Amino acid sequence: MQKYIEYFKPVISLFIFIGFIIKKYKNYFKFIIYSVIFIWFIIIGYRSARPRYKPEHFTDIFNDFSWLVNWPKWLDFPLMQPLNSGFDWLIVNYGMFFEGINNFLLGLYTTMKNFLVGLPWPLVIALVIFITYFASGRKTSTTILVAFCTFFLGFLSPRYWDKCIMTVCIVLIGMLLCIVIGIPVGIAMARNQKVRNALLPILDLMQTIPSFCYLIPGILLFGLGAVPAIIAIFVYAVPPLIRLTDLGIRLVDKEVVEASEAFGASKKQTLWGVQIPLALPNIMQGINQCTMMSLAMVVIASMIGTRGIGDEVLLGLQQLNVGMATEAGIAIVLLAIIFDRITQSYGERLQERTQKKKEIEEHA
Amino acid sequence: MKFLRNLLLPFAFAGFMALGATSANAACKVHLGDFDWDSANVHTAIASFILEKGYGCEVRVTKGSTTPIMAALFDQQIDIITEVWRDNLVQLIEDNLSKGTIIELGVNTPSSTQGFYVDKPTADKYNLKHVDDMKSAKIAKLFADPEAPGKGRMTSCISGWTCYTINLVKHKVYGLDEFYTNFDPGSGGALDAAIAGAFKKKKPVFSYYWTPTGLMGKVDLVKLEEPKYDQACWDEMTKVVEDIKANGPEVYKPTCACEYVNMSLTKAASTTFANKAENKPILDFIKNYTLPTAVVNKSLAFYMDESDGDMVETAKNFLSNNSMWEKWIPGDVATKVKASL
Repeated sequence: MQKYIEYFKPVISLFIFIGFIIKKYKNYFKFIIYSVIFIWFIIIGYRSARPRYKPEHFTDIFNDFSWLVNWPKWLDFPLMQPLNSGFDWLIVNYGMFFEGINNFLLGLYTTMKNFLVGLPWPLVIALVIFITYFASGRKTSTTILVAFCTFFLGFLSPRYWDKCIMTVCIVLIGMLLCIVIGIPVGIAMARNQKVRNALLPILDLMQTIPSFCYLIPGILLFGLGAVPAIIAIFVYAVPPLIRLTDLGIRLVDKEVVEASEAFGASKKQTLWGVQIPLALPNIMQGINQCTMMSLAMVVIASMIGTRGIGDEVLLGLQQLNVGMATEAGIAIVLLAIIFDRITQSYGERLQERTQKKKEIEEHA
Repeated sequence: MKFLRNLLLPFAFAGFMALGATSANAACKVHLGDFDWDSANVHTAIASFILEKGYGCEVRVTKGSTTPIMAALFDQQIDIITEVWRDNLVQLIEDNLSKGTIIELGVNTPSSTQGFYVDKPTADKYNLKHVDDMKSAKIAKLFADPEAPGKGRMTSCISGWTCYTINLVKHKVYGLDEFYTNFDPGSGGALDAAIAGAFKKKKPVFSYYWTPTGLMGKVDLVKLEEPKYDQACWDEMTKVVEDIKANGPEVYKPTCACEYVNMSLTKAASTTFANKAENKPILDFIKNYTLPTAVVNKSLAFYMDESDGDMVETAKNFLSNNSMWEKWIPGDVATKVKASL
């Protein structure tokens, strides 16, 4: 036994030594790991470069320094090929999965579109008025504005009416997807620091990556039409909703949460009974932002064959018809106003409700 | 205030320096127009490489979709376009030729094909050879348009391109419109992606397409036969097409229709640019510039498979492996180009 301990002693002391070094030079250690990864990347890049771009022998790099002037062709991290083959693999092996999503969303879209297009137009306007009136808390001014905007969609040009309905359907389905996924994710972010740290860079990526980077793969996966547009809307419009949900929940007064806990509310009860109701105005703001961004995206999506009011703008651009593009542009603005007023006024009503409660509490 | 001034001064200075640097010592300035499909990009890359290295010109390239770029050419903002699909823009070009805003510089690629294509596996299986073979509900079902139940989808041109309207008229004349939608894919990239995606998923695809293109080398498409090209018939159809473009699809009248003629792609320059005496050598070069379809296809294949998406590399590859371009330009210019390869 003693012998074995003798035998392991140097190993153990080595471990202790390494542990000590890691602890003392924690920062340096990080740098070492990063630089190892960095050098590894460079080696991968060099090895995968085409032979005609490389010097004959890699030691030539240290003799001939002309590569320092212009970025050398061999210093090229090979990201394109693996991405392409990974994407092909995705299509070939998980095509059915995407097909399923495609059929579901498309079914939803077609049913909704056919239903709304089939309705007589005055009925649709009446429906919008009805929704606005009750969402805004019976505000007449908002209702009249929205009614006028809705009427003007078809009034601008009769062929806009059906196209606007298509656009609205796509936006609504996109938003539904955003809400169903975005709000729970936002809540998870607010409750867990680790989740937030992991998700924030992804949200940044989703917000900044150019939309064509996911529009074109969207066609390969889902085919031309409405579904890649819905997916694009989701990618583009969900980050503000997640962020604002997260913010809204974290902004709820700590005292209120503590009070609810003191009364013995479970975590679930605190969330549903206190945090979410108090965060609702912020979440509504997120949904409002989400709508506006969806509308912006649906216009871009007309470049991948999505039918809707966006193709009128595109057609105007393609034919150098300024009037046509502007007219369709105005229709999109009107749509934006309709969506904005409905969600905004609903949010305001929610805010008023919570504020009224506060006032009552103060008076009491 | 001082802080602001300190902040702004270097920027202003840098701006002046940049201006000075670009305007100094370039023998000539050329503004090339480029489009959003790959054969045009190849020509632009080759021409701008020769202009830059051989003539020592400062070359600016603006890339965009057909209408804006053509409009910029008519407006004299762009000097030269190396690939014009003349037959698709016939009205526009003839108007501007008669107005004297542009001049034509001859043929670029002598023969290019466009038409209706079906993927080979489906064509073989169902024996589809002629557009008339497509006229059946059973066949249309293969190409089902998910957004228009009961109909098939033919991916067509982009709605701003004249061929979109031509295809619309052809559909009606051939009787395809009962079975298929004339689906506007929105942009050139989306059209390519739709075809490539169908091949990856091994699904039937029915589409308008053309050669020379890089994609054509990668996928196996079969061209459907149409009634033979006939000038009188084409002219009659063009009238209807122009009418629809101006007044909307309601003004459609039954007409004749036939296949697209194997057309030659041309080159054009703005008159302002062409009239300047110092641009004469450049115009001569562009006039001489012509490439057979096979060479364009080869360059496109190189671009797609080997260049890692680098057009300049593709141009260099063409210039180092071919010598036909030396006939386009004077010997001393050719030597300069060769030296820079």
